[in-house]
Amino acid sequence: MSERKKVVIDLEESEKVELGELSELTSVDTSGVLSVNNVSERSRIWNVKVLLGDTRDSTDIGDDTLAAGEIDVGGKWETNYGVAVGAPILTFKEVFDTCGTIETEKPHWAYVRGEENPVKITLTVTNETDGELDSIILNKTIPNDLSNIEIASVKSGVAEYDEGTRQVVWKDFVIYPHEDSSLVITATGLVEDTEPRNAGGVVITYRGDGQQRSVLDPDLNALTEFLTGIETAETEPNTWECTLECSNESDLIVRLDKAEVYLTPEDGGEKQKMIEDTPGIEMEPDQEWTSSFEVESKSTPKCTQDLAYTPVRTITKRVLGHIEKTAQEIPVYSIDYSKTFDPPSVSSFDKTPVEVTIEVTNNGSAGLNEITIEDNLPDDVMPPTSEHITVWIRGKEYTGPYEFLIDPEDQDPETPHKMTFRVEGLRNSGGEIEPGESFKINYAVMAWRNRPEKEYPSPITCTANTEPAGIPAVVASSEDGHKLGVNYKKRAISTKKAINKGAGAGEYIVVLVVANNGEVTAENIQVSDWIPAGFEYVSTDPEDEAPEVLAVDNGSNMVWSWTRMNPGDKKKIRVTVQGDGEYERREPEVSSI
Amino acid sequence: MLKIVYFGKTSFALEYNETTILLNPGKWDGESVVPDDFNARVVIATNQSDDAVGNAATIAVNSKAWFLGNQGTVDKVSEQGAKPWLLHVLQPEVPYEIPDVKITPYSLSRIDEVEGGRIENLGLYIEIGEMKVGYLGDSVLRGPFEQFDMDVLIVPVGGDGVFPVKDAVSLCIDAQPRVGIPMRWSSIDDPLKFSKYVQQFGQGTVPVVMAPNQVLEVSWAAGNEFRYELN
Repeated sequence: MSERKKVVIDLEESEKVELGELSELTSVDTSGVLSVNNVSERSRIWNVKVLLGDTRDSTDIGDDTLAAGEIDVGGKWETNYGVAVGAPILTFKEVFDTCGTIETEKPHWAYVRGEENPVKITLTVTNETDGELDSIILNKTIPNDLSNIEIASVKSGVAEYDEGTRQVVWKDFVIYPHEDSSLVITATGLVEDTEPRNAGGVVITYRGDGQQRSVLDPDLNALTEFLTGIETAETEPNTWECTLECSNESDLIVRLDKAEVYLTPEDGGEKQKMIEDTPGIEMEPDQEWTSSFEVESKSTPKCTQDLAYTPVRTITKRVLGHIEKTAQEIPVYSIDYSKTFDPPSVSSFDKTPVEVTIEVTNNGSAGLNEITIEDNLPDDVMPPTSEHITVWIRGKEYTGPYEFLIDPEDQDPETPHKMTFRVEGLRNSGGEIEPGESFKINYAVMAWRNRPEKEYPSPITCTANTEPAGIPAVVASSEDGHKLGVNYKKRAISTKKAINKGAGAGEYIVVLVVANNGEVTAENIQVSDWIPAGFEYVSTDPEDEAPEVLAVDNGSNMVWSWTRMNPGDKKKIRVTVQGDGEYERREPEVSSI
Repeated sequence: MLKIVYFGKTSFALEYNETTILLNPGKWDGESVVPDDFNARVVIATNQSDDAVGNAATIAVNSKAWFLGNQGTVDKVSEQGAKPWLLHVLQPEVPYEIPDVKITPYSLSRIDEVEGGRIENLGLYIEIGEMKVGYLGDSVLRGPFEQFDMDVLIVPVGGDGVFPVKDAVSLCIDAQPRVGIPMRWSSIDDPLKFSKYVQQFGQGTVPVVMAPNQVLEVSWAAGNEFRYELN
């Protein structure tokens, strides 16, 4: 059986799609080519008209009917048009998560500098149509910052990573109507500076046979080689049989739509319609079709015909798609800090308020949503109270919520303290700390009688994170960093003693002079002087400097205690003792801190 | 109720019943802090510098007030015209008493920033009515004041030959008065820092920063509840 040839009307529509960094649709440009293809091997077609009607409304075609003229054997006529659409038939979503090991509602969008970022890339394509989409090929460019590239999972098709071209190619799959498919790639991202990185672009091509973006439903009118005529034959005297004869002389299928024959009466008058047929038959090449009627007439009837036929058309259509997604820019988060003491050093054995200022600066390229400072205070320092901590963000005093913890929860200067400051949720409150901006805190501590031979390190750890939180950016001092300096001030407690005879027999006046000749205040001074056996304490001048007298094996001890002596302070004490025997001299003993 | 009136710098007046004690009516850049016609019963300068003595002689003469100071200060005021019969030399640790008031001086010192070295400055422990007030004048030493029971402690904070902020705070921490008042600041930051540090580390002491012409009223309500109000 020979091939049934029909004129082909072809609709090939192309959509070119551009997606932004976050897979948002930025443009979709759709165009089409309508062509009429004469597949005949021996018959031209002419007076070709393409009938579009109202279906052209979704296009930029101006007329309901397009005149295609004459199309020779094997020839083609075509016209281009544009189509207005809102979205492509294949949608694409890339999720580039810089910290795929931490599950969050939204993906992590920045690298932390100097750390191994566990990157997870999820590529999803969705068929938005009622038909299948095939011949899908997706190319994902893998940036140089990524290593350990692995195809973690692929829902359908085949995905491979080519180390040479640094491309992941995903292909050989079909997506059924309103279904999707996805590919997951894992990698390790490592960046050592703060310049924003390119996450690699994506290019997708696809084909949808039988699909179209416009609603064009074209039809065709044309002429081709078609033979027609009316045979009049007298069957009885004055009786005639009139036959309309049609024959398809082409090698195309031709549809006969209308066949009418009119008879002109012998005596004149209006023509009479004798055949009125709408056969609608598709005539094969060389097929004939006839229709006849009888009429009485003395002379040969005069007949005329009115026929409508056209080569039969068939419609083919498809959509060719191309999606290009812009590479996402991945910023890098990183922080630096400074910590200062004012004054940087304190005098030994003194109490000195010291202002501590810590400033954490965003020296990366990503906004920061939270910052935590862990500051460690050594012993011999009284920590601050929470209401006296001042916080600045972007150079302005911050009055929003922040967390302050101190462990242990007291102001005991003899115990080391760990303080934690945390501000979070900045994105939804005052705004993130942008690159170049800083978070600063200030508080005062009281250096508490620090000893010159001792070191007072005050190490610090600062962390920062984005929203959602991933691996934190950390910067820390050494464990013995940020030492509070202690200026050594010489202590010098001088004691001088004289033993003078008193007014009466056996009475002696012991004169003690205690002086702070050092450069620093002395505290908890204790002076003791021995009274030999056989003698007893009587009185002291001045009276309010009376000592505590303690009995010992070979006599008694006088003990004076003073809480504090400033540099230059001097105390002169005259003690009267009474007894028998020789008053042996021993040097007084002094201690202090 | 005791009223503490601040004139600025180191000048205060303590008013209790009919008795007014004026402390350090000094001159600064040639300008008197306290008006010449101020009426006091006792005028005290804690040292002989102009920023302590100021127009003390004039005030003492005008109001027929006693003038109290150490020997050098009394000599200076005498030269400035104060009546000899109204002068009284304070000896360290020897109380001076009048009805409702007992003043005990202690020998402290300040640094003489012009000549160098130190000059004597008297720290005053003033028992007035039911209140005990420590007034360090222009002191760079704390002496025995850390051991005193004080309701109010008035301390210099300027660091210009006298206590810097840190030493003033340190004394408040050790002495734990109920109210600590800074004076003689070199920078507006000094009293603010004093207040900040005493609040944090003072362990019960309330810092009160007074502006010139402000009055602090302190009292013992029902004999056992300490009250203060700054007007």
